[in-house]
Amino acid sequence: MPVIEVADLRRTYHAKTGIRRRSSREVEAVRGISFEVERGELFGLLGPNGAGKTTTIKMLITLLLPTSGSIRVLGFDAVTEPREVRSRVGYVFGGDRGLYERLSGLDNLRYFAQLYGVPAHEQMARIGELLEMVGLSGRERERVEGYSRGMRQRLHIARGLLHRPEVLFLDEPSIGIDPVGARELRDTVAALASTGTTVLLTTHYMFEADSLCDRIAVIAGGQIVAHGTPAELKGRVADGNVVEVEVFGSAEGSLDAVRALTGVSSALVEERGQAQVLVVRSGPGIDVTAPVLGCLSGIPLGRVAMREPTLEDAYVELVGAQDVT
Amino acid sequence: MTATLRLLGMGWWLQMKTRSRDPFDGILNIIYPLIFATTVFMMFREGGDESALITAAVGASVMGVWSAVATSAAGSLQNERRQGTLELLVAAPAPFPLLVVPMTLAMATLGLYSLVATLLWGRIVFQIPISIDQPLVFAAAAIVTAAGISLMGFLLAVTAVRYRAAWALGTALEFPIWIVCGFLIPVATLPEWVQPISWILPPTWGVAAIQDAAFGGTPWVNIAICLGLSAVYGVIGALLAGRLVNAARTHATLALT
Amino acid sequence: MTSLRIFFLGGWTSYRALFGWLSPWILIPTFIIGPVLQIVFFALVGRTAGVGDDTFFLIGNAIQYASIPCLFAMGNTIGGERYSQTLSLLLASPARRVPLFLGRSLPVIVNGLLCSLIALVLGSLVLRVTIPVSAIPMLVVAVTVAAFSCTGLGLAIAALGLRVRDVAVLSNIVMGVLLVFCGVNVALTAMPDWMAAIGNSLPLTHGIEAARATVAGASAADVSGLIVTEVAIGSAYLALGLLMLAYFERESRRSATLDLA
Repeated sequence: MPVIEVADLRRTYHAKTGIRRRSSREVEAVRGISFEVERGELFGLLGPNGAGKTTTIKMLITLLLPTSGSIRVLGFDAVTEPREVRSRVGYVFGGDRGLYERLSGLDNLRYFAQLYGVPAHEQMARIGELLEMVGLSGRERERVEGYSRGMRQRLHIARGLLHRPEVLFLDEPSIGIDPVGARELRDTVAALASTGTTVLLTTHYMFEADSLCDRIAVIAGGQIVAHGTPAELKGRVADGNVVEVEVFGSAEGSLDAVRALTGVSSALVEERGQAQVLVVRSGPGIDVTAPVLGCLSGIPLGRVAMREPTLEDAYVELVGAQDVT
Repeated sequence: MTATLRLLGMGWWLQMKTRSRDPFDGILNIIYPLIFATTVFMMFREGGDESALITAAVGASVMGVWSAVATSAAGSLQNERRQGTLELLVAAPAPFPLLVVPMTLAMATLGLYSLVATLLWGRIVFQIPISIDQPLVFAAAAIVTAAGISLMGFLLAVTAVRYRAAWALGTALEFPIWIVCGFLIPVATLPEWVQPISWILPPTWGVAAIQDAAFGGTPWVNIAICLGLSAVYGVIGALLAGRLVNAARTHATLALT
Repeated sequence: MTSLRIFFLGGWTSYRALFGWLSPWILIPTFIIGPVLQIVFFALVGRTAGVGDDTFFLIGNAIQYASIPCLFAMGNTIGGERYSQTLSLLLASPARRVPLFLGRSLPVIVNGLLCSLIALVLGSLVLRVTIPVSAIPMLVVAVTVAAFSCTGLGLAIAALGLRVRDVAVLSNIVMGVLLVFCGVNVALTAMPDWMAAIGNSLPLTHGIEAARATVAGASAADVSGLIVTEVAIGSAYLALGLLMLAYFERESRRSATLDLA
């Protein structure tokens, strides 16, 4: 039985605008997504900001009610049996909020241990163990207001694990921490997954999803646009070539012409510093460099390069395609 | 049962820690009621009735307990929302009301400082001959009153889960409770339509019990009524909390963003 | 001309920025219901204690309530700017200081005045106190000068805002001092001499006395001395505030204590 089963999940927000004339606008944050996560899996929801990742995770941990669709976590219905779900899952989000600043790290952990019903005689041992694991031993009696971002994030992780949750939800855990801290965080998450904890992680960093997750669902515009193992996702673009052309001027005007060329499977414009870069992907064995340059005649060009496709290309293409629709 | 008590106890203790770490807030919580007490003492002294002054001194001491709760209860959950912990509290399996009650209990406990401070202020600065007839019973009545006030605060705090402007409501309720609960103005002298409001508020009975304990009456009936009413407020608050948290899950108002 | 523009425009803009976050849900309880409740509370306590009459408490508390916007809005002018880290921008600007800060006080005075007048009207309706029509013009003058002198004190507190971290606490305490010492609920004649002496050196005291005398039938000539004294006291605090601002500004530039320490 899958640990998480999500079927045709939807969530609509009513955004109110204006004070005098109350007009209510409906925003569809999540538009019918379905996926399953197996026990012990490290599953990633990858997507840009505003794609619906956080809304999805909040429905899974019972903080938001779905507009329609069903969610089962560990066999319990997240809508009608929230208490059952809450006591079995852990939730950690990124950023430096979500802690009692004026209390010590230890007090924060003791309070949540009590909230999650960790038996009194086990609390101190469990907290000690977790402090050791996240590398906060010796600092636990200091007030949180003096903690660095990395320390706060590690305290968050410890808090989320107090009750030995069967499933851990991590919402953008590495946001705002430095690269070293982010790597330590990934090591911690990987270690957790290896001990059998199911982990669902959201991120907008591709390499994070790539290096950590067993499976990834790419989410954009409230829908899952692709899903599979990192290798499978890369495979979708592996057979082909990518041509990058630096353009000093406006490349947008030529996009349609480039897309119409035979052999071109996609074309995108990225802003990189002062220049725009036209990224053109073509089918296997077809070199589209010359016709692409033909479409750009009259515009000052910089470096032209040809390379192998990466996971990032797959991601940009999936997410970019969604933006167009 | 023990787990629930531990949860309440720990919530209360940590809230006390948090609140007492804001020195400005703490000082104000004691000074502000003393300002009003000073004015009131001067008015009664000018009036010249010594026994009315003593009664007023005892009644005025409870004013600060309500101030401490009224001004912070409604804002407390907005604070949790602002620091991102409200979601974590709701996401925990522990019943939400059991997390809010200790917050307002802690506020009322800090309000007890102001109760003692006001009595001492009256005694030392105004040399009001306050003598407590039954000190232990007095303490019990004060604690019961504080509990009743904290459960009113609980109801106020819970309302604020859904309505963000509710914190202003708390401050606006400071005077009305001072007026109708018989702290200084005998309930019997209030207009008749106001008196039923006084009767359904726990502090009315709590203050009566405190005065009984101070001046040699039998406070037990008043204490019992205060406790009973407090329980009713607790139950209403808990039911409301359940409904409002569900509404917040529908309307996505638990987080700030 | 420029000074005048800084005075009016700058003042109004900063005032709106300070209170922009307040919704009607907060403004109405704070500025309308609050003062009426305070009047009723003290009038009822007065009846219980057997002192004063309803008119006494109505006028005292309605005028004292002007101190809330006057003290807090003015006090926050600096504290708020420091919090939003716009203070250094402001002080880096070449604008002349006196019109800059005086300009900020004008909307505050108007706010205090309105607050008191609304409290007087609503309070007299609730307590069924009649104020003679002939007394109204002089009453408005008395309330206006009281709001002015309170704002002067507010500016002095605002100046302290360059040094103290939590100006709101200070404003609260000063408001309490005004409540106790200014003859709001206890006439100065019923106070010990030392308290009356303090009361006589604070804003509000003479304004309240003038207002009470006016309602009791005194003529404009009778109360003109009180009005002049009130204006003089207000101007003194205003001058003190401006001097402190100039001094602290110079000091903090030297010791770098301008922004949130």
